[in-house]
Amino acid sequence: MDFINSNILTIVTFTPALGALLLLFFPRSRAKTARNFALIISILAFLFSLHLVAHFDSNASGFQYRTDRAWIPSFGIGYQLGIDGISLFLVLLTTLLTPLAILASTRIRDRVKEYFLFMLLLETGVVGVFCSLDLFLFYVFWEVMLVPMYFLIGVWGGERRIYAAMKFVLYTMAGSVLMLVAIIALYFLNGKATGAYTFSYELILAAIHGGKLVLEPATERFLFLAFFVAFAIKVPLFPFHTWLPDAHVEAPTAGSVLLAGVLLKMGTYGMLRFSLPLFPNMSHLFAPFITLLAVVGIIYGALVAMVQPDMKKLVAYSSVSHMGFIVLGIFSFTPQGVEGAIFQMLSHGVSTGALFLLVGVIYERRHTRLIEEFGGLAHRMPLYAAFFLIVTLSSIGLPGMNGFVGEFLVLLGTFGVNKPRGVVAAAGVILSAVYMLWMFQRVIWGEITNEKNRTLTDLVSYEKAMLIPLLFLIFWMGIYSNHFLRPMDASVARLLSQTGKREIQYAVAPALQP
Amino acid sequence: MVPTHYYLILGAALFTIGVIGVLTRRNIMIILMSIELMMNAVNINLMAFSDRLQQVTGQVFAIFVITVAAAEAAVGLGIVIAMFKNKETMNINEIDLMKW
Amino acid sequence: MGQFFKLADLGAIAPELELILWGMGILIADLIIKDKKKLGIVAIVGLFVSGIFLFRLNGVEATAYGGLLVIDQFANFFKLIFLVAATLAIAISMKYLDIERENHGEYYALILFATMGMMFMAGAVDLVTMYISLETMAIATYVLVGFLRSSQRSNEASLKYFLLGAFSSGILLYGMSLLYGISGSTRFIDIAEALSRRPLNDPISLMAMITLSAGMFFKIAAVPFHQWTPDAYEGAPTSITAYMSVAVKAASFAMMVRVFMVAIYPMRPHWVAIMAAVSVMTMTVGNIAAITQSNIKRLLAYSSISHAGYVLIGLIAGNQTGLIAVAIYLLIYTFTNLGAWAVVVALKRRDVIGEHIDEMSGLFFKNPVAAILMLIFLLSLAGIPPTAGFIGKFYLFASAIETGHNTLAVIAVLNAAISIYFYLRIVVAMFMREPNEKTELTYSPALLTVLAVAFIVTMFIGIYPDPFISMARLAIPAGF
Repeated sequence: MDFINSNILTIVTFTPALGALLLLFFPRSRAKTARNFALIISILAFLFSLHLVAHFDSNASGFQYRTDRAWIPSFGIGYQLGIDGISLFLVLLTTLLTPLAILASTRIRDRVKEYFLFMLLLETGVVGVFCSLDLFLFYVFWEVMLVPMYFLIGVWGGERRIYAAMKFVLYTMAGSVLMLVAIIALYFLNGKATGAYTFSYELILAAIHGGKLVLEPATERFLFLAFFVAFAIKVPLFPFHTWLPDAHVEAPTAGSVLLAGVLLKMGTYGMLRFSLPLFPNMSHLFAPFITLLAVVGIIYGALVAMVQPDMKKLVAYSSVSHMGFIVLGIFSFTPQGVEGAIFQMLSHGVSTGALFLLVGVIYERRHTRLIEEFGGLAHRMPLYAAFFLIVTLSSIGLPGMNGFVGEFLVLLGTFGVNKPRGVVAAAGVILSAVYMLWMFQRVIWGEITNEKNRTLTDLVSYEKAMLIPLLFLIFWMGIYSNHFLRPMDASVARLLSQTGKREIQYAVAPALQP
Repeated sequence: MVPTHYYLILGAALFTIGVIGVLTRRNIMIILMSIELMMNAVNINLMAFSDRLQQVTGQVFAIFVITVAAAEAAVGLGIVIAMFKNKETMNINEIDLMKW
Repeated sequence: MGQFFKLADLGAIAPELELILWGMGILIADLIIKDKKKLGIVAIVGLFVSGIFLFRLNGVEATAYGGLLVIDQFANFFKLIFLVAATLAIAISMKYLDIERENHGEYYALILFATMGMMFMAGAVDLVTMYISLETMAIATYVLVGFLRSSQRSNEASLKYFLLGAFSSGILLYGMSLLYGISGSTRFIDIAEALSRRPLNDPISLMAMITLSAGMFFKIAAVPFHQWTPDAYEGAPTSITAYMSVAVKAASFAMMVRVFMVAIYPMRPHWVAIMAAVSVMTMTVGNIAAITQSNIKRLLAYSSISHAGYVLIGLIAGNQTGLIAVAIYLLIYTFTNLGAWAVVVALKRRDVIGEHIDEMSGLFFKNPVAAILMLIFLLSLAGIPPTAGFIGKFYLFASAIETGHNTLAVIAVLNAAISIYFYLRIVVAMFMREPNEKTELTYSPALLTVLAVAFIVTMFIGIYPDPFISMARLAIPAGF
């Protein structure tokens, strides 16, 4: 058992990569076999990841399932993996969404083998990001995930796919290279202060909280910003969001699902894992700005979503709005806010993933996503309409469904610290109800106005197979929220204890006050 | 006895003339000659230093420079001839096949 | 001084000596052997034999010829790079020269001679040795660049390369003559000693440093001395471009490390400032100019300019990490860049230029293996993990940050982000555009071997760099 526990993360992370390697040897003509193989591999990875939940110790606040090996010892780089309550469900979300995304790609006809190859590589990259406990390793996974996503958008995307893919890469790179500088700087600062040159997240964290590594305010500010910009671009926090609508609109359905479902979470996860505990002073100092941006993002995303004629773009902007909630929760520094943010990450992954899948379903039938092209779909596709309704309601945060819990907790946490922002964010919830229900109304209700919609067929079996798990989760997360919140408690408590305000630093550097 | 710095000034002057020649003249042969001028300015420097330091190293170096310059000139002229065969011009401005 | 010439000294230069003899042998064999491809194989064998001699010198620390040359791990490391680069370049050449109908024995002999010059450069600790070895390399390379005698572009490239090369040698020499005047010696150590006794702002020392640096910057194609590079790289036979872009550059950097870190080390505060400015300009101009290129050879030429800018960071840092970074970066660059050039050579067909970026269009559909290999090489050049290029860049950035050059590090990483744009342009052409009838590849077994070797090393260093880092660490002991 020990062997499994100490290697399970490696297995979960690299099963998809191994599958991708094997896919290389599949003959090009056997497209269907390649797809089934990729599906089996991703389901296998999901089953492996279930082990993580099954043996997870909810009372422990530290990292579990640790793997710790030397990788590049001459530079203090280790192969360190581990998860805690914060990353546990994010790993699961990834391993769950990947098989669903692969199912959603059933109608990919072009270069099928390579498509699934990149899909599996992407999964490895994302899971790796959530599991890495070594800053260098984290950066490697962070970058590795770029290339497959670039190809998924650039090769299998829509009209302006090349532009969108390039924009996605350049935005992400611009942020992440600065993070690389910050990581290296942290390495040397820590090395000079403690004598131990290492990229280990835990050792550096221990040095910072043990008082061995004291960062100058200016240095801490630079490091914080370098990390934060990389994460903010990924989230994407307003005003770094402009790549997202392009990437979403051009990406194939599965790409959008993974992009919204898990890739964006890498940004908020990074804030929780790195920004807050490593740079607590600056996190507090910048929190007012950041929450302001988050609130602006919530309202802005919602308003822009309202006027979108394209369903995918609408969902994309709704993501900007929802991700704002997550950032807001994180920087409330309250247990409710942070847990709500993590919960919202999962719930957004599930709901938005489902929304993109649903949009994909009609896109594959009609090859358009314009809302005006549809209407009255409930007549032809009753099951689809029902599913759509559930997901819409979940997305606008109806109690009893997943969206409610996260938003409620975030707002609860925010109200305690900053009432005005809480109020404005709450208005965002209302706006989200407006644009989502309006879209639903125009697409599903009413009479069939467009003759082309008369021949539409309802969901077929693979489409049901990819949607039902998500619908199930929507209710599970909404009703038994504690199943998901409980394992986070210990880790979030530890995180917040590390993020505690240290007043002294403010007194020393009044010039840094906003 | 001529003071050393006279030689150095002569060397510097020749070197500058050479550099200016390379940068401003447009005839390949003149550019080649200007480069030779630069090399010889260096030789004057080396000889002057060698004389002042009462050492043989500088003179040895100068002989090497002369030898290498000769080899370089041979190759350079070969290249010029090869080019002239294909394109009958000696003007560096007309050699402009590749431009961005 | 004692006995100047010792028989033991011959052992110290055995790898180089072997190359000279082998090259001459090839010139003679050229008269007899009709199938010139065989000469290429002979040349590769010669490089291997030289490698064996080099291996026997592994771990030896000695000076030879009364201090004109040293044998140390640093020199050996770089000599290994040159031998590898020459071997891979010859393997690329054999098919290329056939296509150009210019397969001659001298070509291989000249590559061996140039390699020999580089190997001496790596071991030179004396101005005279340095100059002669530099010229040996340079003269052989001038001829190689102009090797396609009937091609105007090749002539033109050769002429430009020659004129600017000779010009820069002249400038370099002027600096050398001043250094000799200051120190009364041509040894690097004596020069350093003499410089350290003079005030930092001594005009003659400054003049010597500036001219010397300018000459060096010419050789590594640093901005603002880079104008010859795109033309020379574009016009030269592609196999030679590949060879120049890695080996000549590596040799110049080996020489620079010795000159800057030993001979003019006392003037470090001055040259660090100059070099930092040059490095920033080189990276930025190289990358921005590369964005606008539509010719692959020219694009890679500008990319190689920007890479020189990155490597300079290692010298600016100047500590052990920095110099290790220089060594490891050049090693990685050798494999990655030769791999990329090998793909470009594979695109070349008879009577077709095969260099426009459009000719890569849809390469993935016609030849997925080549496209994926090219992708890996480009990712490595762009410095994206898990390829070797990332390790190299990581080391360079780390050295800059370690020594407090934070602004430089930030500029460098932003440049790395910019560079992704033009590398991805090639990727876009290969993977995301429809193929046209022009996109066809021709391979030879030798070319395939080069691709395989470059690919394996690029990925291996990317995933498990430790053995190579240890190797570089041996080459550069602390307090070099």
